[in-house]
Amino acid sequence: MSLTVDSVTKKFARFPALNGASFVAPQGSFVSLLGPSGSGKTTLLRILGGLEFADSGSVRFADLNWLDMPARTRNAGFVFQQYALFKHMTVADNIAFGLRVRPRGRRPSKADIARRVKELLALVQLPGLDDRYPSQLSGGQRQRVALARALAIEPRMLLLDEPFGALDAKVRKELRADLRRIHDHAGVTTVFVTHDQEEAFAVADLVAVMKDGRIEQYGTPADVRKNPRTPFVSEFLSA
Amino acid sequence: MSKRFLNPTEDPLWLRLLLGAVAVGFIAVLLLLPLALVFKEAFANGVSAFWTAIVEPDALAAVKLSLIAAAIAVPFNTVFGIAAAWAVAKYDFPGKTVLVTLIDLPFSVSPVVAGLIYVLVFGMQGWFGPWLIDHDIHILFAVPGIVLATIFVTFPFVARELIPLMVDQGRDEEEAAATLGATGLQTFLRVTLPNIKWGLLYGILLCNARALGEFGAVSVVSGHIRGVTNTMPLHVQLLYDNYDYAGAFAVAALLAMLALLTLVLKSLLEWRYADELAASHRH
Amino acid sequence: MSAIGLKFGFAKPWRVKPRHVLPGFRLSLGFTLFYLTGIVLIPLLALLIRPIELGPLGFWAAISTPRVLASLRLSFGMAAAAAVIDSLFGIVIAWVLTRYRFPLKGLLDAVIDLPFALPTAVAGIALSSLYAPNGWIGSLLVGYGIRIAYTPWGVLTAMIFISLPFTVRTVQPVLAELGLDVEEAAATLGATRLQTIARVVLPMLLPAILTGAAMAFARAAGEYGSIIFLAGNIPAVSEIAPLLIVTKLEQFDYAGASAIGVVMLAASFVMLLALNGLQSWAAKRR
Repeated sequence: MSLTVDSVTKKFARFPALNGASFVAPQGSFVSLLGPSGSGKTTLLRILGGLEFADSGSVRFADLNWLDMPARTRNAGFVFQQYALFKHMTVADNIAFGLRVRPRGRRPSKADIARRVKELLALVQLPGLDDRYPSQLSGGQRQRVALARALAIEPRMLLLDEPFGALDAKVRKELRADLRRIHDHAGVTTVFVTHDQEEAFAVADLVAVMKDGRIEQYGTPADVRKNPRTPFVSEFLSA
Repeated sequence: MSKRFLNPTEDPLWLRLLLGAVAVGFIAVLLLLPLALVFKEAFANGVSAFWTAIVEPDALAAVKLSLIAAAIAVPFNTVFGIAAAWAVAKYDFPGKTVLVTLIDLPFSVSPVVAGLIYVLVFGMQGWFGPWLIDHDIHILFAVPGIVLATIFVTFPFVARELIPLMVDQGRDEEEAAATLGATGLQTFLRVTLPNIKWGLLYGILLCNARALGEFGAVSVVSGHIRGVTNTMPLHVQLLYDNYDYAGAFAVAALLAMLALLTLVLKSLLEWRYADELAASHRH
Repeated sequence: MSAIGLKFGFAKPWRVKPRHVLPGFRLSLGFTLFYLTGIVLIPLLALLIRPIELGPLGFWAAISTPRVLASLRLSFGMAAAAAVIDSLFGIVIAWVLTRYRFPLKGLLDAVIDLPFALPTAVAGIALSSLYAPNGWIGSLLVGYGIRIAYTPWGVLTAMIFISLPFTVRTVQPVLAELGLDVEEAAATLGATRLQTIARVVLPMLLPAILTGAAMAFARAAGEYGSIIFLAGNIPAVSEIAPLLIVTKLEQFDYAGASAIGVVMLAASFVMLLALNGLQSWAAKRR
């Protein structure tokens, strides 16, 4: 049940965003996609989430031809940089959304949904905030709700697009630790996009350094840090 | 190679075609067809017939009266709009929300009610009616009444454009100017005005269009004296009711051209100065 | 919760004289209030107190004649119908204009404001010629036994014309600012496109939709110029309330005209309050 990304390319109107990106992530691992802006890391993540389409290449996950499935059926929890919470719904309704839109046969009962929401709020350490609206929460709290919402659908894969980009340094550190804890608890394969190398190294099992739509180096944090394989990687890491 | 799916935020082709056809069809039938008909009727007998109808003395008198009404109403409401926006945006005072609501009130009042209230103030049975007759002052069924009714219906245009814009801009720049020794007038002319000029122009444009085109309110206070108290829209009605369709549509076409010019200028402002207009127009 | 209340309750010291960094407070506010009072408030007061001479029973008698009631029912009923129809088409048009790309889109966008810019009398004679039994559209409909000009449907048609920009222009900017990411989020959570639109997009647009509908209703209910040419103005059938005010004024029945005017004004106030309520509701959810 590992994730295999093989030579994925993607061209936007004017510039190539991905130029044959490949990596393999073992089941349950935590991968950081690290790179400067414009390196293609967000495009790759959005392709994994079904929000963008690859021009060529393949992605296999859990023996599924991942790219042949629409976003809706991939069951990949996606956490957005600007949270993308539903402003007109309470925290509880936001978290329950993914369960409530399931077809009747697979939809949990009301009581089960309520229980699940409570569990998730406890997991992201926001107990008791069920009835708040997103506008009544701090940035860090909003991102915790977004995380809980993504986890509610019991995702096969968790995708995070610079989830802490809009938060201050102290909150980032707290959330980073919580994210790792939640990942270990859920045991779900996680891909995390960031341009902050400290964050990438602190949280991930494997780091992919990206540049110009390609993966420059892929390995454990210790390995990448000790043996930068290209001048770009060593320069990027020393910056 | 992956199969091509719809982007989750993209509608399927059939839906795009359906909604597009509904939107375009609705706009074409509801809005464009009447416009086309106005021009077709106006020029049915050629450009010279159109021109004859326009330069006819009563028509010219109507054009003149409309221009006079707009020339008075627009500057008055512009000064008011600037004053109101300055007060609302730069200071805090109790009752601000009520004030803003009252400024918007003329928008939701029927034009006929707008005319009616001036009849009740200045009419023969009105508050000042007998006094005005004694002193031989004509307001109703005369130019002043038409101007007042026009001012009422165009009252909020500049203010409602400037208030959100100036609230948005806050008072930082004006306070900076004050610390640098600028007087109030200098601050307004050199700091505030450059920041709001396109929004101001936008408000004036809409105010002017409505002033030239107002019908209901002006109709109530005008008295419909041909060549004397008939504005352009009232003249259109007079000709139409007298079965002079060619003449009615000629004047109507003139007004429609002004409307189109307004739309062109408005689109130009929205397109060119989107950042400097109130948030509600940034689309 | 109570800590917040305390913070705002007593923290501010009383000030006898407000002091301002910027000059012109008294001048600008003074002129604003003076002008507002002179142009708007005093004349409206003249309207409000006019029916007092009728007394409560007389006022009721003035507005409860079958002809007046019919005109009020027509104006408000058709305005409500026009608001609903314009809201539906307004949502579709706003959606098409913000989400799709096609040639001449800018032109189509600009044309939406035509009813704002075109004098109502011009709209009136154009619609009347268009929907008359021998007009471009009227002649097509007459074959199906549908008559629009000189019937209550003429009132509705003119109202739909006049109010369309309100519904499009209130929904459009909100739709444009609605990030695609909420729709993407709904998709990644397993929602179908239909579920996303019904549960995420439309609820988020709801305050704007209601605001546009309320503005469309207010404008349509008070509309005069474009309707009188098209409606035929048959008493108790296609005679709108504003026209009845004009008729009563021409008969020098000031009190009767004022009574209808007060009812129209009361409706305006209610709509204004509703709009303010909608606005603060929308602001709370931002």
